[in-house]
Amino acid sequence: MNNDVEMKNQEHSNEWVKIVSQDGFSFVIKRDVASQSGTLKSMIGTGEGFAEATSGVCNIPDYRGAVVEKLAEFMIYKKMYGHASPPEVIPDFQERIYPEIALELLMAADYLEL
Amino acid sequence: MSRRSNNVRGPTSALTEFLRESGITATSIARRAATAQQNPVAGPSNVNEGHDEESSPNREAREANDEGFDSDHLDSEDAAPIGKRRKLSKKDQEKQKAKGKGKKKKGKKGDDESEGSDDEYTALSRSMFDVKGKASGAKPPMGSFENCVKCEKRFTVTRYTIAADPPPGWLCHQCAKASGADPFKKPTAPRKRKAPEQQRKIVNFDKKVFPSLASLCIKLISEHIEDVEALGDIGSVNMYEIGRVLAKNRCLTPENAPLLYDIKNSQITFHDATKLDPDAFRTLASLNPGLESLRLDLCGRIENSAFKHWESHLPMLTRLELNGPFLVGCDAWKGFFASHPQLTGLLVTESPRFDLACMESLASECPNLVELRLSRVGKMSDEFLEHVGTFDYLRSLELSYPAKSLSTEAVVEVLAKVGSRLTHLDLSGNDLLTDDVLTEGLIPNIRLISSLSLNSIGELSDQAVGDFFGATQNIAFHKISMFRNFDLADKALEGLLAHSGRSLTELNINNWKSVSNDALMTIGPCAPNLTKLDIGWCRNVDDFVIKAILDGCPNITDISVFGCNKLTDNCPRKAGASIRGNEAERNFMS
Repeated sequence: MNNDVEMKNQEHSNEWVKIVSQDGFSFVIKRDVASQSGTLKSMIGTGEGFAEATSGVCNIPDYRGAVVEKLAEFMIYKKMYGHASPPEVIPDFQERIYPEIALELLMAADYLEL
Repeated sequence: MSRRSNNVRGPTSALTEFLRESGITATSIARRAATAQQNPVAGPSNVNEGHDEESSPNREAREANDEGFDSDHLDSEDAAPIGKRRKLSKKDQEKQKAKGKGKKKKGKKGDDESEGSDDEYTALSRSMFDVKGKASGAKPPMGSFENCVKCEKRFTVTRYTIAADPPPGWLCHQCAKASGADPFKKPTAPRKRKAPEQQRKIVNFDKKVFPSLASLCIKLISEHIEDVEALGDIGSVNMYEIGRVLAKNRCLTPENAPLLYDIKNSQITFHDATKLDPDAFRTLASLNPGLESLRLDLCGRIENSAFKHWESHLPMLTRLELNGPFLVGCDAWKGFFASHPQLTGLLVTESPRFDLACMESLASECPNLVELRLSRVGKMSDEFLEHVGTFDYLRSLELSYPAKSLSTEAVVEVLAKVGSRLTHLDLSGNDLLTDDVLTEGLIPNIRLISSLSLNSIGELSDQAVGDFFGATQNIAFHKISMFRNFDLADKALEGLLAHSGRSLTELNINNWKSVSNDALMTIGPCAPNLTKLDIGWCRNVDDFVIKAILDGCPNITDISVFGCNKLTDNCPRKAGASIRGNEAERNFMS
């Protein structure tokens, strides 16, 4: 009985990962959403044996919370519309980017392969 | 009334008479209808081909009657199949079209059973007369003789015999060609109409690919380029990194390049200047007047006018690195050198126009040159080297991959003049250089070289290279690169490690295919400070060699093992060291 509960917890804990920014803001997103980013995907993937795979926490120490928040938003956007076929209308993401964070967001996007 | 053996025929209708005269038979029509649906019209020349299925119950009867029609037979044939057709035609018309056609044709032409089959009726007439004469008469059997209706000559009937137009009769091959009809032309295949469901699924490949966040950011930045405050606190961001990211996405344009310009800039690097036009290069100079070092990769669009502008607008420039400035002409180079006597570094890759006159000008105008690279310069020749020898302060010399290799004598001469001060030497790609360049050029002259590149010089022999490392009085090398020298093997490697092993940080022996396993095993212990190693295509590398390297070199970060087929899945790994190119690894891109 106990074992059953444990396994279920593990599966649940695998489903979500936490991304922590430089100033301590953390964002909890689903694992498959986080996998939209090439860098994050290999960090949390079990192939390479990184610590993040077991803990489920990824630190992005170079970028502020505001930037990481927008990154998370983009990952969800990509997951939702990444595979949309042409008839479906894809909303514009560019208008949702604040110009003030654009430069940092560019560097972060490059780092995360988004 | 025996229908089989005698030729007596009873009274027949006008229709049957007509059909018989034209040679239209049930067999040919049914077959044509069936095959016309599937393949391009098959000639009824193969008279005895198999029929399609629905006719098989009537086959015997038909075969017995293939000469013509009997009205009796006609009716009996019609009864069964037409009944069938009536039932089914309500349902799947398209499928039945073929069968319907066949059955229809078996019947009379002017049949009044036209229920819902105007289509079929007209289809019938079309295919009866539209097909290029091949089927409109019964073709006499192959090989038989016929008289051409045009020229009255006798000719042999073949598969390609064309009927005369107007019928009846047949044309011989010459007359057929003369009349314009190509007997060998394959009939066009009937255009198939797609089922409606299939028609709707159109894949548009020119639809936009899902945009990446980086490209969206770049677009946004380009829009706000004028409004610098909108972009927030730029100071906290490393502009060099921005430039690198822009280049990586190939988005560096004249519009967003100004983001990276600053009056205080002392150096600029563009890894991809493809989209910058000559105007943009002029702007670059104007907006960065304090520039001391400039590096432009992929700068194919830069040309003389921009260079001229640089003469006066980059007064502090001392180091210029250009990869791909193929449009810049001789006069532009000369003008630039004249205006920059303080030039200390000139690194040019890929220029077909840089010629001897430019070299002379460089030598006379810029005597303080410390760094010189002339790589893939088409007009490079031995005469250049005379001028290279005049630079008293030269520290770094690269004369690689010319269109025509330099000669050993010229190289030896120039090394005699400048070799003793050099810290970096690269003579790659000069495939005519022989071992003498080592014995007479390098050994007596070099003392301070820390980075040596002698790639793709096929004539170097293993023994000579080994001896070179044994005899040279140079300090221990830090970087050695000798890839694609086919002869080099154990002696060279041993000599190399004995001489410089302890100080080597980067080693490239790609394509030393005969190096033995034992020699490779010594790399690990003998070169403990290695950080980058390329042993690709050294066939004897195996897992133990890798283990020795990982154990012996604590700082190793990058090992390239492309083409080392003996490596297995069990190749050892280490955190922080990437081993690229192991084919056995399941996760090939490490």
